[in-house]
Amino acid sequence: MKLKNALLTIISGAVVLYSCSSDDNINAPEATGAYQSGILISNEGPFNNGTGTVSFVNQDLTEVENGIYSRVNEENIGNVVQSIGFTEEEAFIIANVSNTIQVVSRYTFEKIASITEGLNNPRYFVAVNGKGYVSNWGDPNDLTDDYIAVINLTSNLVEGTIAVDFGPEELLVYNDAIYVAHQGGFGQNNKISVITTNSAQVATTITVGDVPNSMQVDSDGNLWVLSGGKPAFTEDETSGSLSKISTTSNQVLSTLVFDSAEHPNHLSYDNTKLYYTLSGSVYSMLPSDNELPTIKDFEDLEIYSMTVFDGKLFVTDAKDFASNGELSMYSLASGEALNTIEVGLIPGGIYFN
Amino acid sequence: MRHIIIILFACSAINTSIGQSDSVIILKEVILSDSKLLEFSDGIKINQIKDSVLDQSSGMLTDNLQFNSPIYFKQNGYGMISSVSFRGTSAQQTAVVWNGININSQLTGQTDFNTVMAQNMEEVKIRSGGGSTQYGTGAIGGSIHLNQHLNFNSSFVNELDFGFGSFETSRTFYKATYGSQKFSINLGLGYLGSKNDYKYLGTSKKNENGAFSNKNLDLALGWLFSSSNLFKFYHNTFNGDRDLSGTLTAPSNDNYQDLNTRSLLEWMHFGKQQVHRTKLAYISERYRFFNNKESDQFSFGRSGSLLFNYDYLFRFKNWKVNGIFEANQVSAKGSSINAVARDRLSAIMLLVHTPSKKFSYGFNVRKDWVSDYDSPFVVALHLETQLLKGYRIRLNASKNYRIPTFNDLYWKGLKVDDNMKLVPETALQAELGQSFLAKNFSVDVTGFYIATKDLIQWRPDSSGTWSPNNVNDVTQYGLELDLEFHKKIGKHRFNFKNGYAYTKATDNLMQKQLIYVPYHKYNSTFSYTVNKWGAYVQALYQGEIFTTTDNKQNLPDYLLFNAGITYRIDQKWGITTNVKLLVNNFTNTNYQNVAFRPMPNRNIHLNLNLKL
Repeated sequence: MKLKNALLTIISGAVVLYSCSSDDNINAPEATGAYQSGILISNEGPFNNGTGTVSFVNQDLTEVENGIYSRVNEENIGNVVQSIGFTEEEAFIIANVSNTIQVVSRYTFEKIASITEGLNNPRYFVAVNGKGYVSNWGDPNDLTDDYIAVINLTSNLVEGTIAVDFGPEELLVYNDAIYVAHQGGFGQNNKISVITTNSAQVATTITVGDVPNSMQVDSDGNLWVLSGGKPAFTEDETSGSLSKISTTSNQVLSTLVFDSAEHPNHLSYDNTKLYYTLSGSVYSMLPSDNELPTIKDFEDLEIYSMTVFDGKLFVTDAKDFASNGELSMYSLASGEALNTIEVGLIPGGIYFN
Repeated sequence: MRHIIIILFACSAINTSIGQSDSVIILKEVILSDSKLLEFSDGIKINQIKDSVLDQSSGMLTDNLQFNSPIYFKQNGYGMISSVSFRGTSAQQTAVVWNGININSQLTGQTDFNTVMAQNMEEVKIRSGGGSTQYGTGAIGGSIHLNQHLNFNSSFVNELDFGFGSFETSRTFYKATYGSQKFSINLGLGYLGSKNDYKYLGTSKKNENGAFSNKNLDLALGWLFSSSNLFKFYHNTFNGDRDLSGTLTAPSNDNYQDLNTRSLLEWMHFGKQQVHRTKLAYISERYRFFNNKESDQFSFGRSGSLLFNYDYLFRFKNWKVNGIFEANQVSAKGSSINAVARDRLSAIMLLVHTPSKKFSYGFNVRKDWVSDYDSPFVVALHLETQLLKGYRIRLNASKNYRIPTFNDLYWKGLKVDDNMKLVPETALQAELGQSFLAKNFSVDVTGFYIATKDLIQWRPDSSGTWSPNNVNDVTQYGLELDLEFHKKIGKHRFNFKNGYAYTKATDNLMQKQLIYVPYHKYNSTFSYTVNKWGAYVQALYQGEIFTTTDNKQNLPDYLLFNAGITYRIDQKWGITTNVKLLVNNFTNTNYQNVAFRPMPNRNIHLNLNLKL
């Protein structure tokens, strides 16, 4: 969600109040405790006045259990549920506006701890070498208070911070290094920070296209960064771009630039091809391709979030942002729509357990 | 007074067909700021909130109205941003009209009812149903009218009202009125502040960031220049400074500041059968939003609206014709909207025919020409008839509209082509009302139907950028029931006032109830006075509301009670004192008006009112 726009809009009263109540799970069946094999969906929930939720969907999208966190733990996660990060055994659910991370068992969703200290606008979590790392915006307008919180995974406390460039968003771990995409908070940025975990320092910063929103590492060890470009409301609109970066030299090897006013998102990788979304369509290309694809693999989709996994395309639709969204699954090979199931309010993250 | 009487005589002498009752209307015209409420509202449901009722609440318009009208309010925590749903319509579809001028925000199209303090207004009226022909954009569900009066020939009266109460709440209202034969002055000052740190019942939390401080100035001046010329000047300044409350799941560090001013200069010229009014008004609004109140960074928006209005009323036998011409220029600017200006010209014709005392009907038309969008031609028909003694039937039908706001049209980054495609929301409505007035009771039953097209809502596009679109059509229908009993037995006076509203508001596409519109709302006040003592109990029942458009999530219904005791100390050294003790939410009900935003627990306030 474009937070700035949404926030200002809400403040100015121009949108209806999106909301959600705490008693939506009262009539639901008892928790099974078994979230072993299936899909976890993080639902942002309303921007204000509510809580985010997590849905558990079985692999063929025929069954769903919504609000699993509150069902198991009889409390709300908080809002907005921005993302979930994982270790082997645990899931870290990030409630952005609440400045809270709920730590739960990944497979039972029983709560282990709440991290409430040391976070300021937390966005994404990764774990590497026994520590957790969380990107934090700080004040989303402040260019200088952004940081990565380092979490002790035994005590579940923030034990340190690494100051970074403005607006750290998605995190990616590769070879003991953390790549931080700086989308830019309520503004825009165009950096990737590379943090070496043994020194806990920013080793280098790579300049990419404006608003880097998603990253993947291909099987050759190259980092791919998809940048959305500055949106029109900035009045300095730039187009998206796809950068290929060497993870050994941390140099940009090549950049493919989209047409003007094209803002791609959701870079995904299935070990063969890269996939991304653009204006309701899904495109794919090989890492070896020298040009951006022109053929749409899928079109006319309502896409709030997208990922590929196990030969399938998964797409969430946030509908009108004020009612339950949907998760849909398509065959990557045939393009066939396989199934669709209702999940929670504003489904933003798709994770495979 | 002598001059006014001269006017009365002059008018009634020349136009004898108008008769005595119409002479009184001319007198009322002198003191009224919005005479259309009186002159061109046959067949329209209009309720007045009495002074005594205004005194029962804090001073913010939300509190005044929610216990005394069918209107539903949602507040983001007590005292915070408050928006309205009148007959199931949106917040932008209720017009707030100050001394005859629509003052809804040019930026958002709505009024925040916690930024209006009506305590020093002589008249707060609720006009139900469509009124776009008379009041322009946003008068779809209804309109709220705030009017100041001029009091010629009245002695110098000072009124001081101060109080304090729970959550470090304090209020001070001062009002002075004076009128000679030629001059009238009416000054009001108001302050309402609170730390507002009420408990979130059932939790260990408090309303951490909810402090507010509201300041208000009202001024009304009148100068009867000659027996046929009257000058009036009205002014209001409101300044609000609020920290915006967090929710159960999220803290807040926000702060919001409002500065609104309204000024109106009017010259009235009375002819033989006619009244000329020439008005010049300037309305300004400004807000600042601090995402982090400790930081200097804020986003802002402001607008200024300059308005010229010429109004000519002509009476002939039992006909009244009113032609109005209005020119308006609005300019706005903000951190998220580009600096723009909008020009509007309006032509309005109102007509009322009163063939007999028991029957009248009217017809209104309006057309606006606006620089940046096409405004629809709107029309209204209304009639009222008395079938039996005390039994009246009202009927009206109208077309109304709500224009895109400056936010809708000029939000930064919206592609010009896209937002220029926006069209005004248009609504057709019909209403049938019946009232029965007897010695000790009155009953009013009103049914309404509204069909609105092209509702403007903000939705994100495929790249995640939010923009406004004419997304859907909605239908509202419902029933309003008002019942009032009053009885006097010796020194004992009883009054029992009840209002119930059933509202069905449906999204035509999804066929679901609109969010934040309750099916049922009921409010009731029982008051009792004997000698110097008075007491009242107020109840408010708000039915279940849905918080998501698929109606899968809801907020439960709730029932609230307020109570108060008053004691009057008769004049001593020229001062009449009223002491009042109020207990709000005395059952300590845990309720939410907007999801995840608890409202106050039981709270107690003591007020002292001095009049000299």
